[in-house]
Amino acid sequence: MGMLLISSVISAAGAVLALCTLRFENTSKALGCLAGIAAAGFALAAGVLGVFAPAEPVSITTPFSFANFTVMLNPLSGLLLVVVNLLALVAWIYGLSYLDEYKGKGMGAIGFFMNLFVVSMNMVLVADNAFWFLVFFELMSLASYFLVIVEQKEQSVKGGFLYLIMAHVGFLMIMISYLVMAGITGSFEFADFRAARFEPGIASLAFMLAFLGFGCKAGMFPFHSWLPQAHPAAPSNVSALMSGGMIKIGIFGIVKVGLDLLGASDCQLWWGALIVIIGALSSVLGVAYALGEHDIKKLLAYHSVENIGIILLGVGIGFVGVAANQPPIAVLGLMAGLYHVLNHATFKGLLFLGAGSVLYSTGTRNMEALGGLGRAMPVTSVCFLVGSLAISAIPPLNGFVSEWFTYQGMFSIALSGGIAVKLLAAFAAVSLAITGALAVTCFVKAYGVTFLAAPRSECARNAREVPGPMKAGMAVLAVVCVCLGLGAPWVAPVMESIASATTNAPALAVAAGADAVNPVLGSAVSTPLVAVLLIALVLVPVLLRAALGKGGSARDRDPWACGYAPDANMPVIAATFASEVSMFLSPLYTARVALARTSGTFVALCQGTVRAAAAVEPAGDRYLVDSVAAFVKWLSRYVRAIEGGNFRVYIVYIVAALVLFLVLAIMVN
Amino acid sequence: MEFGIAVVQALLLVALAPLVSGSARWMRAKMHTRRGPSILQDCYDIAKLFKRQDVRTAESSFVHRIMPPLFFGVMLLLAMGVPMITRFSPISVLGDVILIIYLMALPRFFFSLAAVDSGDAYAGLGGVRELLIGVLVEPALMLALFVAVLATGTTNVGGMGEGIASLSAGSPVGVMLAGVAFACACYMELGKLPYDLAEAEQELQEGPLSEYSGPSLALAKMSLSMKQIIVVSWFVAIFVPWGSATDMSLASLAIGLGVWLAKVAVIFGACSVIENLVARVRYKLLGRQTWAVVGIAAFAFVFCVLGI
Repeated sequence: MGMLLISSVISAAGAVLALCTLRFENTSKALGCLAGIAAAGFALAAGVLGVFAPAEPVSITTPFSFANFTVMLNPLSGLLLVVVNLLALVAWIYGLSYLDEYKGKGMGAIGFFMNLFVVSMNMVLVADNAFWFLVFFELMSLASYFLVIVEQKEQSVKGGFLYLIMAHVGFLMIMISYLVMAGITGSFEFADFRAARFEPGIASLAFMLAFLGFGCKAGMFPFHSWLPQAHPAAPSNVSALMSGGMIKIGIFGIVKVGLDLLGASDCQLWWGALIVIIGALSSVLGVAYALGEHDIKKLLAYHSVENIGIILLGVGIGFVGVAANQPPIAVLGLMAGLYHVLNHATFKGLLFLGAGSVLYSTGTRNMEALGGLGRAMPVTSVCFLVGSLAISAIPPLNGFVSEWFTYQGMFSIALSGGIAVKLLAAFAAVSLAITGALAVTCFVKAYGVTFLAAPRSECARNAREVPGPMKAGMAVLAVVCVCLGLGAPWVAPVMESIASATTNAPALAVAAGADAVNPVLGSAVSTPLVAVLLIALVLVPVLLRAALGKGGSARDRDPWACGYAPDANMPVIAATFASEVSMFLSPLYTARVALARTSGTFVALCQGTVRAAAAVEPAGDRYLVDSVAAFVKWLSRYVRAIEGGNFRVYIVYIVAALVLFLVLAIMVN
Repeated sequence: MEFGIAVVQALLLVALAPLVSGSARWMRAKMHTRRGPSILQDCYDIAKLFKRQDVRTAESSFVHRIMPPLFFGVMLLLAMGVPMITRFSPISVLGDVILIIYLMALPRFFFSLAAVDSGDAYAGLGGVRELLIGVLVEPALMLALFVAVLATGTTNVGGMGEGIASLSAGSPVGVMLAGVAFACACYMELGKLPYDLAEAEQELQEGPLSEYSGPSLALAKMSLSMKQIIVVSWFVAIFVPWGSATDMSLASLAIGLGVWLAKVAVIFGACSVIENLVARVRYKLLGRQTWAVVGIAAFAFVFCVLGI
């Protein structure tokens, strides 16, 4: 806890310093970034400590009984601290160079808001009092809103507004949920929520409100449309932080309310079923819409919808397991979800930073205008490839491990549950399978169209590799992606301990030797073995080709184009993928038009409110101030008649007044 | 000892790959009442390709270069996990169905990426098709496997084969239907007519392979045949497991090898017949056929849930 305090102080100092030195942009950037790096380092340590050695709640009494500042660091918040601060650390390192793009465009403000953003996320994670939780939650939304609109372009302002609305719709629902629980327990302390046993109806109400509210923050279907608007608008390292870190706070909230705060109440089966169904829809639709995008950052933002869906599938299995009183399956599902939270943070952070590097060196996010960047930007290209493989769940990287555990959770729950649960699990498994295949397609598109083949525009031809700090930021995350995959047998038990601490279930042996294990079905998979054998077995044909290939090799031919002169616009581009996919999956895209209306409705509602407010706001003026003013005006019109401006008339008035007063004085006496 | 079996299976895969493609050519000639090449023709072709120069396009990068060995290596890895001679997986941690499905995605990823990388318009289109066939086949594959997992209670290919061979699986009709759906899905994965959309010769000029030459082309061609053997063995291991070796004695291993060779030969023979009787499916209409397979798998699932 002390570490977190130090981190918060450094962040706050960094934010203030960045603001004070606003005029000297380089100083401001350096101060902001260095403070951010130090703060993230301390918070990361605090998170690791939280996972292995949870701390008791610490409370600071304030004069207001509802607002005692209570903080608690349990394994779940520890994991999320690690996720957020790992990304923050990398985003700051990356920002040392990347933020140069924003010179003269509010670079100092980015340092201020980003520090504020990170510290408020950290505080949301450890706050153990509903009031402070909401305060920091709101601070987090506002700070990130200002980061989204930092470019002040029409697109970013529009996206930012949509984000602001959705954040507040979610906030409202979370607030009502907490107020419902606070109203019954008579306290804003989470400790009292945990101890209370709510009626099933009340618990369901509180959970549903929290689920929808946090779902808005997480960007789950059908509240996803702000993600592809807001994330691309923000600076890329902020996108990484938002997409990898902030939306996970939505997941954190769902787990916290459902399994922690309502832990003493009965978890209903339909909560879990709803989470699984929403998760399945989010994952399939998210990746399908990603395939239709040509803007690389929008594509990645839609992939966040997909991955939130995959996380929700795992978490939903966890809820079903708790409701069905199957603690091992509950732990398995939840740990799959939490593992994917960490994994998604790393590979999505990596991919957003990669997209940022592309933007930095070419100035465009439009994949149609890119191509061939791999030769000019080898480090970025390789890092992006690692991220693409990881997010496509290719073994032995980390995305595969968490999806494997998710599948195992589904198979386990299907074998032990009734018909409804079997149906649910089959639906979830098929959705995840389609998602996996579509994700592979989408990242062949994202990587191939951007980095491979011939450059299709002048800006792609002139691309240069990015500076050192940006390369370092990406490399760190790429290495973490590989480690989380190959280290599965050692990481999985940690995730399991977090999941079993959250569900109060007995421990589960999810690793044996170098294998990751599902103890319920006895299935096992070994990513280190896959990696070792894969390297060895790929070397065989490589050596074979080198030893037996007698003709040498040449790389000087034009691609064959049926006798025409080939040009860079002939090969496949992003639109090729999009049109082919939409040919087979057109119903999903038709659905998007209808779905896009949900957030549109909220925005329209809000704009209606603004108009109504504009109409109501002057009412006070109209009836009070205006009437007085009108009276004065009316009076003055008559008064004007007796004011001629002739000084002789004024003397007459004075004489008349004197006479009047004299008469009065005589009469009174 | 188990590791020995795994190595033997991998070597067997390499040895059989040219024979499988060669016998398909021989069979095609016979059905056309031509004399045709020898079954060993593909072995000669591969030997010759290794002597040729490896020519690539100027735009291509390391992806184009790494794809054939990677494809080859992944197939060898799969051969160590998918049971062929034995009932159980030689290396059991490589025999998980989810791992197998996702390992199959690795060469697909690079196969299509290399197609895009070559800068060839035909290759790129073939790559996209390859990916989309994967997308359309995946749901049927997963649902059929889901039924098999429900019926046998394990996700290990060896365990699933064991459950089905001992007839202890929960719902026989469901499992049989799932087997049919799985067989259809596997056939689509084989890339044979009517589903040879990615390499469609007349439409896309060999698709993703069109810019490959020399040793790389030889490796890629071999890998495609190896993939066919793996997919067929995978189906056999789960749904037709009878006859494979259940212990490590030399006699049962020999019987297992013979039975596996016979099963694979019969299946490839049947595939060749189908391949030569049909025309290529219109790419646009592929979706209808895959959804029909999903329908079969869904029926299997219903039967399985009902316990029939």
